[in-house]
Amino acid sequence: MSTAAFVRAEGVLVDRPAVACAGWLAANALAPAERALRLGGVALSVPLWLSGDAAAGTRLAWSALRGTTVDRLEVLGLEYWEARVLPRLSRLGLDLCERARAAGHRLVVVTDLPEPVGRHLGQHLRVDALVCNHLEARSNRLTGRLLDPLASAFGGAALRGLAERNGYDLGSSAAYGSAAGDAVLLSGIGRPCVVAPDRGLRRLARDLDWPVVEA
Amino acid sequence: MTESAQRGGTAASNGVEPEGLVAGAFRGRKIVLTGFTGFLGKVFLALLLEEVPGVGQVVLLIRRKGRKEPSVRRFERAVDSSPVFRQLRRQHPTDLPAWLGRRVRVVDADVEKPGCELNQDAMAVLAGADLVVHCAGLVDFEPDPLRAISVNVGGAQHVAALATRLGARLLHVSTAYVAGIGSRTVPESIEVGLSPSGVRFTPAAELRALQLACRTAGDDLAARITAANARAGALGWANIYTYTKGLAEHAIATREQVTIVRPTIVECARTFPFPGWNEGINTAGPLAWLITTAFRRLPTAPDHAFDVIPVDDVARGMLLIGAEILAGRGGGVFQLGSSDHNPMSFGRCVELTGLAHRKWSRRHERGWRPWLLRQLDPVAAPEEADGGLGLGAGPEWLEAAGEALAWADRHRERWGALGEWLGPRLDGASRRVAGWEDDVERVTRMLKLYRPFIFDNGYVFRTDRVRALPSDASVRWEVGQLDWCHYWVDVEYPGLRKWCIPLLEHRRPPTEPVPASPFRLPEGVSA
Repeated sequence: MSTAAFVRAEGVLVDRPAVACAGWLAANALAPAERALRLGGVALSVPLWLSGDAAAGTRLAWSALRGTTVDRLEVLGLEYWEARVLPRLSRLGLDLCERARAAGHRLVVVTDLPEPVGRHLGQHLRVDALVCNHLEARSNRLTGRLLDPLASAFGGAALRGLAERNGYDLGSSAAYGSAAGDAVLLSGIGRPCVVAPDRGLRRLARDLDWPVVEA
Repeated sequence: MTESAQRGGTAASNGVEPEGLVAGAFRGRKIVLTGFTGFLGKVFLALLLEEVPGVGQVVLLIRRKGRKEPSVRRFERAVDSSPVFRQLRRQHPTDLPAWLGRRVRVVDADVEKPGCELNQDAMAVLAGADLVVHCAGLVDFEPDPLRAISVNVGGAQHVAALATRLGARLLHVSTAYVAGIGSRTVPESIEVGLSPSGVRFTPAAELRALQLACRTAGDDLAARITAANARAGALGWANIYTYTKGLAEHAIATREQVTIVRPTIVECARTFPFPGWNEGINTAGPLAWLITTAFRRLPTAPDHAFDVIPVDDVARGMLLIGAEILAGRGGGVFQLGSSDHNPMSFGRCVELTGLAHRKWSRRHERGWRPWLLRQLDPVAAPEEADGGLGLGAGPEWLEAAGEALAWADRHRERWGALGEWLGPRLDGASRRVAGWEDDVERVTRMLKLYRPFIFDNGYVFRTDRVRALPSDASVRWEVGQLDWCHYWVDVEYPGLRKWCIPLLEHRRPPTEPVPASPFRLPEGVSA
């Protein structure tokens, strides 16, 4: 059995939520009118995010990209990674990944980014496993539907399944998260750690005596 | 069992790695190749030498260029200067002349002349040829019709006659667009004497009529082109290129042992000699160039298939077909394309070109104009506005701007200091407008030539025959697995930027480093 370090990308490695990616892709749609329409669709998801329903917000935001070609997602996914994610990767998050690897952990990154963007993050960090969102496509066009399970809900059975497939001992593994929504993942791992947490997760960390790393 | 197959069996039984089907079929054979100086010819030769180092001999029929440059010098110059031979030059840093000298013979020949103007020495070199591959052709869409007749029709007839004289089989490279005008699925067949529009004709009589029409037009090239286009249109061909290639097929198809290969639109290499390699101006080049201008509406039918095939896949297809011919199973028509098993639509291609430009420009260009063009994606313009060229009101606006600038220039002397200040600015603006007007004129001309293929007609070319051919580990038909997004964005567009667009902008594409000593074939390998 090996051990793994599960790193939640949003908040630990990346300072922008994945909905920003949906917004950026919408703003770079093919035609100007399409851009406005898609941006409006993404904007509709913001209240859901603010109300704390990340899953519904994520689904609504990505549904605004319905009809976008897979080609566009692939090419702009790389551009988004190169221009928006790579230059802004958190030094602290990268250090945590390096230290985890030096401690002998396998590296597993969990991100809400879609696969055409998350793939580059995974390659950059040389991860052992990547958990990200997958957008459904038919005939080279996105249907606007995110395939289950969502990366934001990663934990519980999905976590245990991944550990079983890869031979990870969850009891001796570590996990890093920064938002209250990461509690599901953190609570399933033997050595959880919160990084620059939001208010909800800070309270939980204090209650459960989880270590806190400040930015 | 063929001789080559027996040899392959011996190699395998000796514990040597068994050679592929293609290598086995070509091993020890004498191949005659025309059109080496063209894009496809070079790639075919380089691939043949790469995949079948055991080929008996390749005899290149090359036209001498004036008195100063015999064919052998043209070949040697190509080996020195063409990126196609980079790999061979690297593999044989010291022994390339000897290595090529054992495999290649160069012969002075002119396919436009009866008998290809071959002398006795040349015929002695050609004796015993197994296969003649005829790649030579004029690929301009609107050439001088007399020249197109001479090269495309006369050339095919002379080479076919030569193959018959040598007792060799012929692989004639044509184009899939001999299919003519009209949206349809194009089968791999030819009905000699039946034109694309369904008119019965006699190839020889049509050729004579065309020559007469051109001669009647006299020295006026435009009149010759108009006359030839009229004849082409009457028979259902879109332009002089497809017309003369079509006539060539009809003229030689009834001969024995002729196999016609029809590639669709030949584009940058996928992998061989290296990704993106292209020579000259190909079909997608001008369309890609449009994206670099302010032009953003391409008049294409978004749902029609843009049947594109990388040049190295054409060469691989030709090797597979050549192997079949050498095994005695050739004949008829083979089409090499993608539209029936891995189609890319024009709509997809336009979007991919915009995305490819965006990716390329982000890495190579700075400034507000490239930034702005990156934000404005090109779109397919299917509607019939402005004669279907999708130019919108652009030409009128440019004309109005030119007139306004000219008016201001005429009157600025009256405006005192303001006029003086305006002087150089007006000159600069006028130059820019004139440049844009030139662009629009080029675009208009280009789009009119391309319109039948990108807008008016939708084709699906059947390629069942090549897909049914047996393949081996190194030579395979892989067009079905081609990832268009990767090919177009990471291979085709960067290749066009490097090798083709400079030519459209009257610049030189990159050249190979000048070798310390020029490549020379050993004595006695030319005739």
